[in-house]
Amino acid sequence: MVGKGEAPAPRDPEEEEEEDTGGVVKLISAEGFEFVIDKKAAMVSNTLRNMLTSPGGFSETRQGEVRFPEISTHILEKICQYFYWSLHYSSGQETAEFPIEPEITLDLMMAANYLDT
Amino acid sequence: MGSACSRKRGQLVHEDDLYSARFSKSGSFKWLLHTLPRSNSADVHRRAQGPALGRCPSLVELCVAKVREDMNSYSDFSLLPRDLSQQIFNELVECGGLTEASLGAFRDCDLQDICLGEYPGVTDVWMEVVASQGQSLLSVDISCSDVTDSGLSLLKDCSSMQSLACDYCDQISEHGLKTLSGFLNLTSLSIKKCAAVTAEGAKAFANLVNLVNLDLERCPKIHGGLVHLKGLRKLEKLNLRYCNCITDSDMKYLSDLTNLRELQLSSCKISDFGVSYLRGLHKLAHLNLEGCAVTAACLEVVSGLASLVLLNLSRCGICDEGCENLEGLVKLKALNLGFNHITDACLIHLKDLINLECLNLDSCKIGDEGLFHLKGLMQLKSLELSDTEVGSNGLRHLSGLRNLQSINLSFTLVTDIGLKKISGLSSLKSLNLDNRQITDTGLAALTSLTGLTHLDLFGARITDAGTNCFRFFKNLQSLEVCGGMITDAGVKNIKDLKALTLLNLSQNGNLTDKTLELISGLTALVSLNVSNSRVSNSGLHHLTPLQNLRSLSLESCPVTAAEIKKLRLAALPNLITVRPE
Repeated sequence: MVGKGEAPAPRDPEEEEEEDTGGVVKLISAEGFEFVIDKKAAMVSNTLRNMLTSPGGFSETRQGEVRFPEISTHILEKICQYFYWSLHYSSGQETAEFPIEPEITLDLMMAANYLDT
Repeated sequence: MGSACSRKRGQLVHEDDLYSARFSKSGSFKWLLHTLPRSNSADVHRRAQGPALGRCPSLVELCVAKVREDMNSYSDFSLLPRDLSQQIFNELVECGGLTEASLGAFRDCDLQDICLGEYPGVTDVWMEVVASQGQSLLSVDISCSDVTDSGLSLLKDCSSMQSLACDYCDQISEHGLKTLSGFLNLTSLSIKKCAAVTAEGAKAFANLVNLVNLDLERCPKIHGGLVHLKGLRKLEKLNLRYCNCITDSDMKYLSDLTNLRELQLSSCKISDFGVSYLRGLHKLAHLNLEGCAVTAACLEVVSGLASLVLLNLSRCGICDEGCENLEGLVKLKALNLGFNHITDACLIHLKDLINLECLNLDSCKIGDEGLFHLKGLMQLKSLELSDTEVGSNGLRHLSGLRNLQSINLSFTLVTDIGLKKISGLSSLKSLNLDNRQITDTGLAALTSLTGLTHLDLFGARITDAGTNCFRFFKNLQSLEVCGGMITDAGVKNIKDLKALTLLNLSQNGNLTDKTLELISGLTALVSLNVSNSRVSNSGLHHLTPLQNLRSLSLESCPVTAAEIKKLRLAALPNLITVRPE
């Protein structure tokens, strides 16, 4: 029997994706407005993470862009801001609250739900 | 002065209550719903800190919290996807922010779960919105509400319902229970303490053939009603605790419920004859007969229930004769024989119950000889020997029980010299030595037990010198030292026990305000008792840092209720139990 200490260390899944998080992706809103963000930020969304890391990839993601015909520009902008806020929060650099304007809360929540973030 | 003498806790002890520290609100405490914080202290802590440290809140969570803040500006969530409106609903209930007005926004939202158990102010008006969820509704909890028959009847079209709890709903009548008979998909039903559950009212249950769990605890008029359960063949769990009008004649309707796995009958008026109806329940794993008027004669029937894992015979009239029938119950993990007339002669029949993890022999006539038969019960985790004739000599039979996590030796004949024999039980977490014969010498023999989380030395004669041992017990969560001989100097050895949530230093008449100053760093404290000491009004300000404090007892001290109240209002919002008041 192999003792706990001698077992080969499993590969850290985060590490495996490391080479993949470089570069940028383009998110396109319902109105056709384009947001170019770091791939690392886009991966905060589980939905985008799945798209960007699935073997073969979705046709859009191979070209480095994802269209959201149901998410309007101002909501998509807010979501991109959240991606970066989340990265900073997780690394301990962000302590301020993430601001959400009351008039967009419900639309933002539905988009966040779709993006699983 | 009620707390001045050593005492036994709780008159009736129940397995599941042992694990539940939650403040239980029953019907007669409805008024408390408006004053108590909704969550327990752990939740209060969590809420104050936001989501678990290090984990980033999801955007959905942030939006839900934002909606809760601005709830007044929303009137309709019916266009939201169901999972989102459900999250908002749950959040509002959790933080106590749901009102009759804000509830309206959830009309026709296809919610699946409406858990308003113990929520303040729930009335029939609320039930209209609950009922508007229609076929989506799967589970409802309106326990402790003022919902009446007409409110309940609004749910009649919600026939998908799988789970319903209406405990302590004292406005519901026999007639109102008829609504339940339409819920054919119901698998779980709880109606604790409901006077409407009578021979007539229980008719509603006969239709509910899919029921798996049925909880009718404390229904005071249920006699004659169990006949309507006899067709509920899928029943696995049935709770009839404290239905003290249930008699032997009711029991016969349980005899065909052969899928029963758990049956709670404590404090029912049943005798050995009533137990005989359980003969065919071969799947029964939990049987609770606590406080029933049965004798050891019923063990003949019980011995045939080979699946039993938990058997509670506490406070029955069990004598030695008949206990040989326990021998075959080799699957037993928990056996409660407390408060019976059994002697050492009974314990020989337990020696092969090698799967036992919990054994309760509280107040039985057993002594050192009997413990010999427990030697081989290597799985034992918990052993209750309080108020027995066990002495120091008997403890040697326990020194091999390596898995023992909890042992109660209060009010036994054990003295200091006996404690050496349990000093090797390194799994011990809970130790009760509430016993006048125990002194500093005995405590010094136990310093190897560094895993202790609960130590009760209530009546033990521990002095300041003995408190030096406490530094070996860094994991202590509860400590009681009330022998009268501790001074402020001894408390210095307590001030670093940062994990303490319960501290009882009452009856130590020499403790002064200095004690409060010393313990002011024990910020995890939930309960503090320094009654019968010299603690005074001028020392109270030292308690300000104890933000988790929920219970404070300073009975018979030179303090005034007014000053404590001032402290509570100014600094300790979680404090709900205060003496003097």
